Amino acid sequence: MTADIMMPTFHDQIIAILPKLRIQALALTRNRAAAEDLVQDAVCNALSAQQSFIPGTNFPAWMHRILRNRFISNLRKRRDTTDIDDVPSSVFATEAPHEDRLALKELAAAMTRLPSDQREALVMVVVHGMSYEALAESTGCAVGTAKSRVFRARRQLESWLLGETKESSKAGRNAAALLARRLAEGERDVIRA
Amino acid sequence: MMPKANDPSRSVAPKAAQKKPRKTEAAFDLWLQKGLHDIFDNVAHEPIPEELLRLIEEDRKR
Repeated sequence: MTADIMMPTFHDQIIAILPKLRIQALALTRNRAAAEDLVQDAVCNALSAQQSFIPGTNFPAWMHRILRNRFISNLRKRRDTTDIDDVPSSVFATEAPHEDRLALKELAAAMTRLPSDQREALVMVVVHGMSYEALAESTGCAVGTAKSRVFRARRQLESWLLGETKESSKAGRNAAALLARRLAEGERDVIRA
Repeated sequence: MMPKANDPSRSVAPKAAQKKPRKTEAAFDLWLQKGLHDIFDNVAHEPIPEELLRLIEEDRKR
């Protein structure tokens, strides 16, 4: 029996994964402009190295690894600092109520304080819906390490956002109060689920 | 007399008190998932820069 399904070309696969690469890049760099540059650099690297990709193997993992390696390589070269509060402005242009936008802003700020590997892992699992196995393959680590990064990121954010540390700002405590209300709503959903 | 820091009777109680209910963690995770989607989904849906697409298409033609 022959396979009638048309396999996407190498270039089609790159175009298809661009939105996810942008999210990964933003999670790593915390800066929109740097994220766009990183995606472009990673695509250039992938195009140059396309002969080394084995068709039929995990293209997304291959591509995410290239982007990640490029990020690390750039960091080593530049050792620069990045904007720590470069949250997409579109986040705050949503129709969400004012207090929800404040909580989102607190979340975005807390995200920037996470180590880059935890931030990347959390975004790839929660936003991309990636499995721990795929995350491990994409970031070149053991599955246990991938799980641990996501777990620590979640609990660290929870600790910061619920105001359990001395570092909590007044804005953070306000967001925590809102979050507590949203959590109460969420708990009802969890119980119902 | 103050209990010593390594006194088991002293360390067990605070740990138990600090333990969060699982449903609170689950509710936080649910809220976190929604928040992260709110932050990052817009980025994914923005148009791809023309320059980047041109770069890929030029390489495809080679």
